[in-house]
Amino acid sequence: MSVITYSKAINQALAEEMERDENVILYGQDVAVWGGIFKVTEGLRDRFGPERVFDSPISENVMVGAGVGAAMMGLRPVVELQFADFIFTAGDEVFLKAGMWRFMHGGAYKVPLVIRAPSGGSGFGPEHSACPEAFIMHAPGLLCAVPSTPADAKGLLKEAIRLDNPVVYFEHKLLYAMRGEVPDGEYTTPFGKAVVRREGDALTIVAWQDMLRRTLAAANRLSKDGIEVEVIDPRTLNPFDRETIIESVKKTGACMVVEEAYRTLGVGAEIGALLLEHALPYLDKPFKRLAIPDVPLPTSQHLVNFIVPSEEDIYKAVKELVA
Amino acid sequence: MNPKLMLDIFKTSLLARRFEARVIQMAMAGELPGSLHAGAGQEVCQIAAITAMNKDDYILYGHRGVAYMIARGTSLTAILADIAGKEGATSRGKGGVMHVVDVPHGILGESGTLGGGFVISVGVGMALKRRYPGRVVTYFFGDGTSNRGTFHESLNWAAVQKLPCIYFCENNGYAVSVPTSTSTAVPDISARAAGYGVPGVVVDGNDAAAVYEVMQKAVERARAGHGPTLIEAKVTRLFGHYIADQQTYRPDAATVIATKDPLPKLQQTLVNAGVLNDTLLAQLEADAQRQIEEAVATVKAAPLLAPETALQDLYA
Ligand SMILES: Cc1ncc(C[n+]2csc(CCOP(=O)(O)OP(=O)(O)O)c2C)c(N)n1
Ligand SMILES: [Mg+2]
Repeated sequence: MSVITYSKAINQALAEEMERDENVILYGQDVAVWGGIFKVTEGLRDRFGPERVFDSPISENVMVGAGVGAAMMGLRPVVELQFADFIFTAGDEVFLKAGMWRFMHGGAYKVPLVIRAPSGGSGFGPEHSACPEAFIMHAPGLLCAVPSTPADAKGLLKEAIRLDNPVVYFEHKLLYAMRGEVPDGEYTTPFGKAVVRREGDALTIVAWQDMLRRTLAAANRLSKDGIEVEVIDPRTLNPFDRETIIESVKKTGACMVVEEAYRTLGVGAEIGALLLEHALPYLDKPFKRLAIPDVPLPTSQHLVNFIVPSEEDIYKAVKELVA
Repeated sequence: MNPKLMLDIFKTSLLARRFEARVIQMAMAGELPGSLHAGAGQEVCQIAAITAMNKDDYILYGHRGVAYMIARGTSLTAILADIAGKEGATSRGKGGVMHVVDVPHGILGESGTLGGGFVISVGVGMALKRRYPGRVVTYFFGDGTSNRGTFHESLNWAAVQKLPCIYFCENNGYAVSVPTSTSTAVPDISARAAGYGVPGVVVDGNDAAAVYEVMQKAVERARAGHGPTLIEAKVTRLFGHYIADQQTYRPDAATVIATKDPLPKLQQTLVNAGVLNDTLLAQLEADAQRQIEEAVATVKAAPLLAPETALQDLYA
C-alpha cells in the first residue's frame, strides 16, 4: 500500500493504461504541455508523446464527438472536459452520440470512450460547479463512475478505459487533494459493486464523493451519541448496485440519500422509487433526501454553504430521523 | 475521364434511381414507412465522389437517399430490410432508412442530428491517421447542415491536425423549405474553407467527371497527410424534402425534373462517347429491375424483427 492523492491516483491510472495499450490516447484543453488546469495529467505528454497526449481546441462538441468516432475505429480515447458542466455544451455528442450511436446502428461497433468530468467544488459558479451525474444515470448507453477515494479513483478509471462502452467518469474537484491508501501493483475496480463504508443498524445512508466524506464525518459524531449508521458508497451509478442498498435497508429499516445535486429527479429520487418498489415492507421510517433545493449553484461561498448539505445538516437530519 | 468508370457511375446511379422509385411507390401504397428523403438528382454526384475513393476508405453520410450505400456495395436487400424493420436490417430496427450501417463496406452511419457526422468524422480521421495511415473518411452533408456549429469546430480541428477528412457538401439550394439565400450568409459554402486554411472548391455536381476529378484531388491531398478539403457540389433536389412534400414553397418545382436531371445528361455523354447504346441501356434497366424485385421479394418474405430487438445492442 502507498498513500497518494486522488489526483495522483487518476494520473497513475492514465499512465498505466497508456503504457499497457497504445490505443489509449488523451486530449482536452491544456492537458498536454501544462498538465491540465487541475494538474491531473502532469508528465503524461512527456512520457507518451504529443501524438497520444495533446491539447485540443476549445471545441467541446468535437472533443466528445471525435472521441466517439475514434473509439468506433478502435482507439480508446480519454477526453478531459475542463468542467463537468460542459457535458451540456457537448450534449449532442455525450447523450446522442456516445450514448446512442452503437444502439442506433444496431451494435455495428463498440464505443470505448472515457469522458473525464471534474465536478462539484462549489464556488465556481452555476456553470462550473455542478455534479450532473443524475443526467448521465438517466441517459441510456452511458456508464457512470463516481469515485470517492484515491483507490477507487485509480481502479475505476483503469476499468473505465478497458470497458468497451462509453463511461462518464466524474472526478470531484474537492477530492483532488484527498490522500488515501492505494493498493500496490495491478488492480481494477469493477463497475456495479457498491461498497459499505461503515456498518450500522440505525439507518442506511447512500452518499458518494464529497457528500460521502461529509457523511462519514457526521457518522463519527453520531457514533459518539450512540447512533450507528450504515454508509453505502455506490461507486458507479450505471451500472447501479441496487442489491446492496436493498439488503442494507432490510437490515436498518430506514434510508437517507445525501446528494450534491438538484433534489428533483436526482439519484435520491431514483433510490426512493427503488425502495418503494422493492423494500416497502422493510421501511419503518420515511425515506429522506438531503440535496440542493433546485437552484443553480451560486458563486459566493456562504451562499453555496447555505444550499449544499453540510456535515451538520447530515448530523441533524439523522438525529431527527432516528429520534 | 475513363469512359468505363463513367459507365459504372451511370449504372449505379440508374440502379439507385430505380430502387428509390420502387421504395417511394411501396411507401405510397402503404407497404413501407414513408421515411425516405429522396436522393433523386443527387445520386450521380454522390456516386461519382464515392467512386474516387478506395474500397477501404470510410464514409459518413447525410439523409439524402441511399445511393451512397449502393455505391459502396451494401445489398439492396439489407437497405430495404432497414426500411421495413425486417430481419436482415443493418441497424436491427434501430435506425431505419436513415442509419444504414455497413462497416465492412466502410459505411459508418448517419447522424440524426444534422451535422453530427462532422465531429464523428474528425475522430475517425484521428484513428485512421494513427492506425491506418493513407486511408481517408468523407462526410457528405447538405448546404443547410453547414450552418451547424459542428461544421466550424470540426473543420478547424481537422485542419489544424491535418486529418484525412474530406468535407463533401451537396448544395441543393434548400434546407427543407428554406432557400440557402435566406439561411446562409455566403452564396458559396466552399468560401468558408478560407476561415480554416483549407482548399475550398466548387464543382458542378451534375457533371460526374468533374466531381470525380475534384474528389480525386481531395483524396490525394488527405492521403498525403495535408489535411481536409471542402468540396461544394452544386446539385439539384429533383423531388420534395420528403416523400409527400408538396413543395408549395418552390416556384420551379414543376419544371425542375424535366430540366435539371443529371441522369439523362450522363446517359447522353456516354452515348456520344460510344460506350452506351439502346441495347446496353435496355440491359442495364432489366438488370436493375431484376435486382430490385429480388430484394423486394426477399424482404417481403422476411420476418419482422422480434420486438425484443428493442432491448438489444445498447451495450457491448
Ligand atoms: C440538428 C437538426 N436540426 C434540424 C433537423 C431537421 N431536418 C432534417 S433534414 C433538414 C434540412 C437539411 O438541409 P440540408 O442540410 O441542406 O440537406 P438537404 O435536405 O437539402 O439534403 C432539417 C432541418 C435535424 N434532423 N437535425
Ligand atoms: Mg440542402
